[in-house]
Order: sequence, then C-alpha cells, then structure tokens
Amino acid sequence: MKFIFRIVGILLFAFMIFNCSDNRCNEEVDVLLKAEIIVNDPILTNAGFLETLSIYSPAWTDSVHYSSANFMLELSPFADTTVFVFTSQAWKDTVKIFYERDLVYLSQECGFVTYYKIDSTRYTSTIDSLVWVNKKLTTLTDGHVKIYF
Amino acid sequence: MAQKTDEKKKDGWEITGIKIGMDVGRFSNFLFKPEQTSYAGSLDVGFNNKYFIIAEAGYSEINLDRDNYNYISDGTFYKIGLDYNMLKKYPTDFLGAGFRFAYSTLEHSANNIRFESEHWGSYYTEKESETNQTMWLEASFGLKGEIFKNVYFGWSAIIKVRFYGGTDDKFQPYDIPGFGKAANSISIGANYFIYYQIPFNRK
Repeated sequence: MKFIFRIVGILLFAFMIFNCSDNRCNEEVDVLLKAEIIVNDPILTNAGFLETLSIYSPAWTDSVHYSSANFMLELSPFADTTVFVFTSQAWKDTVKIFYERDLVYLSQECGFVTYYKIDSTRYTSTIDSLVWVNKKLTTLTDGHVKIYF
Repeated sequence: MAQKTDEKKKDGWEITGIKIGMDVGRFSNFLFKPEQTSYAGSLDVGFNNKYFIIAEAGYSEINLDRDNYNYISDGTFYKIGLDYNMLKKYPTDFLGAGFRFAYSTLEHSANNIRFESEHWGSYYTEKESETNQTMWLEASFGLKGEIFKNVYFGWSAIIKVRFYGGTDDKFQPYDIPGFGKAANSISIGANYFIYYQIPFNRK
C-alpha cells in the first residue's frame, strides 16, 4: 500500500512539472493582406508601370518599392480604414480599404493579434477594377486582393 | 430483539466521518506558475467508509505580466460528486474512484497590449473585462492515508471533460479555475490534499 502510494505520487508530481509551458511563441502572428497587381493596359505595360511601382500610406513615414506583381501589405491596426497610394512614374492611385477589427488573444505565449474583416473598398481612376479573393485576414489565412490596372 | 436491531444498523447508512481538506498541490504554483495564486478546499462526508459525498470549492487569480501585454483574471469553481472506497481491510484509509460535476466562472481582462509594426509604429490598447462560465465532468482515482491521528494525506489522478463554455474565439481564458488550460477540452491532472477528519462517530 505504502509503495503504491509513494510511486504513483512521484509520477503525478513529475507529470505536473513536465506539463509546464516553455513560454515561447511558436505560432504565426503576422496578419497580412496579399495584393496582386495585374496590368492589362498596354500603355502602362509599355511604360514599365510595375518596374517602378512604389506603395505607401499617408500615415507611414516610409514607402515600399515592389518590382514584382505580388506583395504583402499590413492594414492599420489602429483605425478602421487604411489608405494605400500606388505610385509609378506619372501615375498615382489611391485605394481606401474599410474594415472591422477584432482583438484576438492568440495564446499566452504569443499575446494579442488583430484580425480584420474587409467591408468595402474605394479606388481612383487608373485602377480598372479590384477583386477580393479573401476578405478575412487572420494568422491562419492571409487576405487576398487582385488589383487590375 | 436487541440482536435484530444491531443487524438492522449494520445494513443501514451510517455517517462514519467528516473530513475537511486543503489542496496543497496548488502551492507548487509559487514555483512553477508564479503568475497564478489559487486556493481550494473540500468537505467530504463518509457513509459506512464506503461512499463519500464530496463538495469542493476554490478561487484562482492570475496576473500575467508579459512584455507585450498584461493579463488579469479572477474566478471561482465549485464541484460536487461521489467517491467510492474499494478498501475493505483498512477501513479508515481510502483507495478508490469517484466522479464530480464542476462549475466555474471567471472574469478576465487585459491591458498594456502593445503592437509594433515596421510601418505603423507602436500602439497600446486594452481588452475590456469579460465573463466566462464553464462546466465539466471529472473522473478520479486516488488514495488517502492517515499520516497522523485524524490527519490524512491523499492524492488523486483526474481526467476532466469539458462540456459547456470555456472557449472564446476572440478572448480565450488563460486558465479555467479548477479545470486548467482552456485550450483543451480534456484535461488530465493531479490533486494533492491534506485532510482533517472531525473526530465524529469514529470507532
């Protein structure tokens, strides 16, 4: 009786210790919007529109230059609207994205992230159309928008 | 006539002990989970040293201070159930199994939540207080042994199965009082209790 009492007690205590968390965040925490640029206008193609494309938001202090048609953007975690400006040579277009934000407790190790659900979009004239492939941005699925010029 | 009365008494239900207990396993939190402070106690009433009606209650408080957020939670839990003693040879000790129905409620919130972005800079926000309720069932197997007169030490291995609440897609509790990690619907654990048996009807 005493032997069983001791052995099982020690095993349970060891289980309690090994059950402790390592406190490291091993999950994906980035919540991103995948943007895909499709240039159908021959004037823009001939002028090398994509090669000199830069993107920025008026709220940023910097801008990003992308030479490929696919890139990842980060929506503002502080507001329900984000404005992106697409500029290349003489062209300058604006995309205004309206969305809802959700503050989500991902895990004790990783803390909080912001999830987004896209409501609507407005854009200026050089952009022909804008198609949303995925309107929900989480850590598991990137948002996806196709922008046709 | 007197003999008949004695036989009748043996067959009936007799309260053979009342124990009050304290969960001492929770004190390991000081070492392994310093962000959590929790207490739990129990009351069991034994019938014929065979069946025990058990009531447990506890309180848990969490203050998790991380680099990018501060999480605060406090809650209580209550359990009620039955234990069955399989021992015949040592009538004051216990080796047996039991089950519990458990309920827990907690309030949790977070502040100083910091976001840092290469383009958007730093931003602080907070999560307002939310209430979460959970219910689960437990099955246990354990031992209780008398270490001094009327003082018992016992441990039990427990499997807990949650059937209501405890989950929130947006604000999952860090820990459900009395249950454990909220992310799992099945929780396996152990209890370590010290009991005092009220000297009552003891033979």
